[in-house]
Amino acid sequence: MHFFCFWSADEPLDLSKLPAFLVEVLATVLLLLNIFHEIMGRGYIVQDDVEGYLSKLCEQKADPVTGLLIGQSSTQRDFVVMAIRTPQKEESAAAARNSVDKEWVTEHARQVSRMLPGGLSVVGVFIITDADAKDALTTLRQLLFAVENLISSEHLWDPADDDVTDCVTLHINPKTRKTVCRTFDIKDPKSVAKPADWKYQSGLCSSWATVSCSLNVDMLLPLPNNRTSTGNMEECLKEGLKAWAHQIESGLCLIDGKRLPEDSELTVGQRRNVRQTYTAQLLITTENKRLTDVIEQCGGSVSVTGAIHSRAYLHSNKPKARLAEKLLKRDVVSTVATRVQMMLEELLASDQESKGSCRDKQQKELFCLPHRIFCPLKVSGPLCVCDYQFSDEGLSEVTERLKEMLDIDAAEEDLDTRQEMTFEITGCDITPEPTQEKVEAPEHKKNYIGVAMATAVALLATAASMLYLNDI
Amino acid sequence: MVVVDSETTTVLRVKGLLEFRCQLDSTDEQLVRNVISRTFETLRSQVKSESCVLAVSNSPLIIWPNKDAYATPEEITPSTLCEDMHQWIQTDEQESSGKKSSKKKSKKSSVASVINLRLMTEVTKPGPLSAPILTKTVLKSHFVSVTLPLDCVVCTGRSDTIKDACEQLIEALTHQLCEMEKVTLQNMKGMTLLVPEPVHFLLPEPKGLVTVVYPVGVPDSQLVAQRKELHQQFELPDDRPYFRRANAYHFPNEPYKDGYLRNPHLALTHPTLDNGKVYLVQGIYSYHHYMQDRVDDNGWGCAYRSLQTICSWFQQQGYVERPVPTHKEIQQALVDVGDKQASFVGSRQWIGSIEVQAVLSHLLGLTSKILFVSQGAELASKGRELANHFLTEGTPVMIGGGVLAHTILGVAWSETTGQIRYLILDPHYTGAEDLQVITDKGWCGWKGPDFWDQTAYYNLCLPQRPKVI
Repeated sequence: MHFFCFWSADEPLDLSKLPAFLVEVLATVLLLLNIFHEIMGRGYIVQDDVEGYLSKLCEQKADPVTGLLIGQSSTQRDFVVMAIRTPQKEESAAAARNSVDKEWVTEHARQVSRMLPGGLSVVGVFIITDADAKDALTTLRQLLFAVENLISSEHLWDPADDDVTDCVTLHINPKTRKTVCRTFDIKDPKSVAKPADWKYQSGLCSSWATVSCSLNVDMLLPLPNNRTSTGNMEECLKEGLKAWAHQIESGLCLIDGKRLPEDSELTVGQRRNVRQTYTAQLLITTENKRLTDVIEQCGGSVSVTGAIHSRAYLHSNKPKARLAEKLLKRDVVSTVATRVQMMLEELLASDQESKGSCRDKQQKELFCLPHRIFCPLKVSGPLCVCDYQFSDEGLSEVTERLKEMLDIDAAEEDLDTRQEMTFEITGCDITPEPTQEKVEAPEHKKNYIGVAMATAVALLATAASMLYLNDI
Repeated sequence: MVVVDSETTTVLRVKGLLEFRCQLDSTDEQLVRNVISRTFETLRSQVKSESCVLAVSNSPLIIWPNKDAYATPEEITPSTLCEDMHQWIQTDEQESSGKKSSKKKSKKSSVASVINLRLMTEVTKPGPLSAPILTKTVLKSHFVSVTLPLDCVVCTGRSDTIKDACEQLIEALTHQLCEMEKVTLQNMKGMTLLVPEPVHFLLPEPKGLVTVVYPVGVPDSQLVAQRKELHQQFELPDDRPYFRRANAYHFPNEPYKDGYLRNPHLALTHPTLDNGKVYLVQGIYSYHHYMQDRVDDNGWGCAYRSLQTICSWFQQQGYVERPVPTHKEIQQALVDVGDKQASFVGSRQWIGSIEVQAVLSHLLGLTSKILFVSQGAELASKGRELANHFLTEGTPVMIGGGVLAHTILGVAWSETTGQIRYLILDPHYTGAEDLQVITDKGWCGWKGPDFWDQTAYYNLCLPQRPKVI
């Protein structure tokens, strides 16, 4: 411990230096608190429903049971709002069920991560096993790093200085119900376990705030010459999305029509059980000057146009405007990236290569990206999870996925489908001319509508890139 | 095209980059032009749409010009006067000591002040809206991807409100896009496209600030026809340049990247003589003096520095593209014309007016007149000649004699009384580019006839303007 001397005994106390002195005192106090915090460890405040959920899992025969912990971390406090068990692998043998499948856990985490709106993320992993505590911790550590590294590798944004990099591991012994809670700094591969507090609380999320917006996307990207497969399209889209994500990240954010100073606090949690909602606006500019090499040969183009609904939740412990902006922007970027990724995954899986299905030199395909549906969590408060519904899926498929991935029992009437409209122009469900080739939809889950067209089609007025089709 | 006159109190300058992207699925010239035009039309609609936003730099002000000039913060209304926007702008002079002193700023000056705005796009809209579609087009074609550097200037008067300004700004932006379209189509050759770029020029009163769109990368020498047209359009004399790129107007709040001071003499109060008039250098020059550019020429480089000041004038008026020569380059030029031996390069030998004339001729292709006075006392009688020089040529004058060289930037001369004062820029200054010090201590200042050594002889080099546009 350092002791700071603010004045020496032989100097007379200079009152004009008092304000600066007080600032120094404050800074020291904060520094000491931080050090104290570091030594004492983080404190996780957990929604009390989670206790019941974990308890039920303890009563199951299976051992080990792994799962994810969902919540929000801030510099001062950490919140856990939900626990989700790892789903059973269908084809796993009885023996395999007794061991932890790291790949399966991480893949589950990746899928879950896509279903969390801004502000909610995978903050840790848990394991319910009566195995040795040290072994359990080792397993947890491996899972934690694998999960967090996979999830952050898919982010299209750079980590911020004020991001919390500590994540939590929870080991519960099903027989004794003893809970061991530790944190690791996932930025540091050599990180050692630090003790952490785990406290249950009711009504945790009741006064959390919601920041949301509806946002237009309008991207047009060239496809390289002679390389227009889905794989190439994926590369181009990834690059384009990165550039667009950068634009969003550097954009101006207004909250409820005002440009707030970064450190100002949003008024949250002052009245319990009152819904606090904020509407955000994003203003962007182009940063990159492109004045040379302006025309290049290409093999085609790919565009993403339309609008998305984005949302982020903020904890009720004096959140700052800077946090709201960061979480919302990240949700904007990830919801668009997720949908594009899902579409590409479907295309690659169903192997619909254009060279097989259409021999025309010109070809235009439209794919409706899935739209976002929100499902409220049973806990009181504004929190929702989300899922993406392809245009040919019914709500039953959504509720099935919510059950399988997030272990949530939701009824179709609970789902909020009003935030985004299905694309309603003729393009998506047009019946092609009989003389044209029609792409056959595979019988299993059809997840896109691809229509090969050589004739001009009336399309969305805002997509300028499509207008010139009428010329031909 | 915008006019600045004495009525203008605030100049609004909006800058922004707009992405211009389209696919050319045919190489047929007419079809290509159609696509280009249509893409420009889309950009024009974008500028006129509700998602077009103007953000005032260094301030929390944001205006939606197409939503009846709705603005945030809420104290700003469409009927707020443009000049009141200054209260919200934080300048570099103010220390960010935590206190928001930005509101207290009010500058009263006779020169119109400039407010910079950024052109932005709002991507959020009230929902719900249609979910996105991904469109994949496979077609061997060409892809055009450019960022258009928009830069518009609008002049507002005392009684103009933000709403008025918005209308003018949007009109200026759409007009500039039209100009850009014209220039782009004019300069399209097959599958190459030149990016259009706006440049501002300050024309003599009453014409004021004017914006011209030039294609990037095309040198001035290839734009003679355009300049001729512009000279005709604005009724400008055809023997001096107004529209070369180097003539571009330098906005007062933009710092010069090279660090040299420009026109320090503007900070001075000029002398008033009975029946006298002030005749000054025209245009912009940089102040070159001892110890700059990490060259220690203290005691020998004064004429070189004066020559550099003169070269900077010709460069900034657009007559030459060559940057200001270094001491070595000057010495090499003299060796090249046979005036000096090779050993001259790298030496600390002085040069005089004749050498200055030779270098201006050899390196920059300029002619100069030499004026000779056998005694410093005679300089007082050269009032008429100097006044005429500044009237017709307006170039800085290098004067060498005795053991010193100086630059004359102007004279105050009375035809009736013969009284004369000389505006001197002294290259012997060894300090930093501090305008306050330079003007206070007289390194740039008005001197009387006794400034000269009354018995020494002097040579003056009077550079002549080439008669070109």
